[in-house]
Amino acid sequence: MSTESEILPEILHVGIDLGTSRSAISASNGERFVVDSFVGWPADMVAKKVLKRDVLIGHEAVANRTMLDLHRPLERGLLKEGSDKDVEAVRELLKHLLRLVGVSSNGKIESSNVRAVVGVPAAALRTNKQYLRNSMKGIVDSLMIVSEPFAVAYGLNALLHTMIIDIGAGTTDFCVMKGRYPGEEDQRTLTIAGDSLDTQLLKLIEERYPQANVTIFMVREWKEKHSFVGDPPKRVLVTAPVKGVPTELDITNEMKTACETLLPPTVETMLDLLSRVEPEFQERVRGNIILSGGGGLIRNLAHSLEDALKQVGGGKVTHMQDPVFVGSDGGLALALDAPDEDWEKLTA
Amino acid sequence: MRGGEINRVKRHVLRQAVADNLDTIRGLPPRGLRPGRRFVRLFLRRAPLVIIPLILAGFAFITSTGVTRPAKAVPAPATPKAPQIRLTRASMTPMLMTDTLEPVSASAFPLSVHRVVLDAGHGGTDPGASSISNVSEKEITLDIEKRLSALLRKNGFEVVATRDDDRLIPLRERARLANGSSSDIFVSIHVNSIPHPSNHGVQTYYLGPTNDPTLTRLAAAENRTSGYALADLRKLLDRVYADVRRDESQRLANAVQLQMFSGLRGVDPGLENWGVRRAPFIVLVATEMPAILAEVGCLSNEREAEMLRSGAYREQIAQALFHGIHAYASANDAPQRKGT
Repeated sequence: MSTESEILPEILHVGIDLGTSRSAISASNGERFVVDSFVGWPADMVAKKVLKRDVLIGHEAVANRTMLDLHRPLERGLLKEGSDKDVEAVRELLKHLLRLVGVSSNGKIESSNVRAVVGVPAAALRTNKQYLRNSMKGIVDSLMIVSEPFAVAYGLNALLHTMIIDIGAGTTDFCVMKGRYPGEEDQRTLTIAGDSLDTQLLKLIEERYPQANVTIFMVREWKEKHSFVGDPPKRVLVTAPVKGVPTELDITNEMKTACETLLPPTVETMLDLLSRVEPEFQERVRGNIILSGGGGLIRNLAHSLEDALKQVGGGKVTHMQDPVFVGSDGGLALALDAPDEDWEKLTA
Repeated sequence: MRGGEINRVKRHVLRQAVADNLDTIRGLPPRGLRPGRRFVRLFLRRAPLVIIPLILAGFAFITSTGVTRPAKAVPAPATPKAPQIRLTRASMTPMLMTDTLEPVSASAFPLSVHRVVLDAGHGGTDPGASSISNVSEKEITLDIEKRLSALLRKNGFEVVATRDDDRLIPLRERARLANGSSSDIFVSIHVNSIPHPSNHGVQTYYLGPTNDPTLTRLAAAENRTSGYALADLRKLLDRVYADVRRDESQRLANAVQLQMFSGLRGVDPGLENWGVRRAPFIVLVATEMPAILAEVGCLSNEREAEMLRSGAYREQIAQALFHGIHAYASANDAPQRKGT
C-alpha cells in the first residue's frame, strides 16, 4: 500500500482553443466545454449586490453586460497588450475553462499537474506567445503554444499535403501541412474574419433600416444562424425593435454581401499558398482543403472555394461538422502525445 | 498515409513543436532566420571587402617597414620616426570578427549601383493608409513604383519589384526577395497618414534606433506581421548598427529626401520637410543592402490626398525619387568621393 507521498500526482492534459469570440477546452478526463470569451466585473456596488458575484464569464457576462465592466481580452486571437484588466480577464477566462473541466477554484487541482496546449493564430509573434506564457503562470504547470491550424491538422491526422483554413472571429488562419511543423512560409493569417463580417453586416443593416435598433450581439447571433454565400437558401428574416416595436426585417441581401466580403481575401490567400507548394504535390493539397472554425459553417463557402479552385485545376474543400472543438481536440491530442520529458522542459 | 507513417510524422512534428516552444522560452528568433546564420552569410559575402584591403594594407605596410627583409644595419633616418604600428595576430583577429568589428567607413569601398529593389508598400488585403476620399496607400505606392521602375530602366538600371500587382506580400517575403536578388539598394515606397490632417510633408527613413515614441509606434505597427520578437530585433539591430550599410543607407536617404522635397515643393508650396529619420522598420532591418523607406506624401491631408490621386503628381514623385537614387548612384560611381 502506498503512502500519500508516494502517490504520483494526477496529470490532466488539456487542449485550449483561446478564441476571440469563443474559447473551447478539451480535457483528458473526457470533459469538453466552450464559453464566450467575455469577462465582466460588476461595475459598482449595486451591480455586485444584484449579481452576487465578483466576476462573470462567458454567456453570463454577455447577458448581464449592462451591469458589468465587460472585457473581451482577446483581439484578433491574441491577448490585448497594455491593459492590466485585459490580462486579468484572460487569466479569469483560463481559470474558468480549467474549473469547468475539473480544476479546483484556486486554479489548481490538488496534487495534480496540468499540461496545456494552447492554439494561437498562425501569425502570432514570439512576443505574443511570451505574453500568453506569462499570463498563464500559476494557472497551468506546463504549457505548449502552437498555431491553431496546426492543432486542427494534428487532431485530424492531416499532417501531409493538406491545407487547413480556420475561420475564427478575429482571424482567418491558413496552414499547409507538409509533414513538418509549419514554418512562416507555410502559414498566413488574415484579420478579415467573423468579427469584420459582423461589423460589415451591422453597417449594412443600419444603412437599410436606419430606424431599427440593432446591436453587434444581435448581428452575431443572426450571422451564426443564417450566414451564406452565393444563392440564398431561403430569405433571412429577423426581428428587431423599430421605434420600440418588434419588427420583422429582411436582411437576405445584407447577409450575402457581408459574408461574401470573406471570399476574395480567402481565395487570394488560398491560391497564393497553393502556388508555393512544390508543383508535384499541388494537386494533392488542392484535393485536401479543410475548412474549420465557426466561419467554416457559412453555407456554400466550401462550394465557392471549390469554384475558385477550378481556375487552377480543381480541388476539394471539406468543412468540419464540429468546428467548435476541432482546435481544442487537436491541442489535447498534442498534449497527450508529447512525452513526459518534453513536458518537463515546458514548465509554465 | 498508413498508421505507422502517421505516427512517425506525428512524432516528428511534435518534436519540432516542442523545439519551437523552447526557442520562444529562450527568446530565440525563428529557426532559419537566426541572426547568427544570417550574419555569417552576410559576413561571408562582405568578407572580401574587408580582407582584400586588409591584405593590401598589410602588404604595403610590410613592404614599407621591411619586416620580412633580412636584418641588416641601416643608418637611422634623419627624420623623426613615426610611432610604429605592429601588425600582430592579435590586432588582426578582431578585424575578421563581426562581433567586434569597428564601424567601417563605407566610403572605403565605392560600389556601383546597378540593380535597385523597389518595394511598393502594402497591397492585396492590406490597403495601408486611406484618405477620406477613399484613396488607398497600396494603389499609390504601386503606381509610383511602376513609374519609378520605368524611369530607372530607361536610365540603365536593373529593377527588381517586390510586387507588381495588387497583392499582399509579407514583409519577410519582401526582404527575402530583395536579399536573393543580388541588388545594390532597396527603396520602399510608402504614404504617410498622421493625426494632424492640416500638416503634410515628405520624410525618408533608414535603419537605426529611435527614441521617438511616435516612430516606435509606427515601426511597431508596420512590423506587426514580421515574426520577430522585440528581443530578437534588438539583437539584430545591435549587429546591424556597426554594419557598413547603415552609412550607405543614410547617404541614400539624404539624397532621396533632398530630391523629394526640392522636387515636390515647387508644385506644393505647403509641403513640409520632415527630414531623414532613423527607425527600425522590418524591411530595413531584414534587407542586406543599403535600404530606405520613403514616405512620399501624406494621405491624412485632404489637399495632398487629392493631388496623390493625379497621375501627373505621382509622376513627379517618381521623378524626384529617381533623381535621388541617381544622385546617390552617381556619387558612388565617382572615382574619388568626398571624405575618402
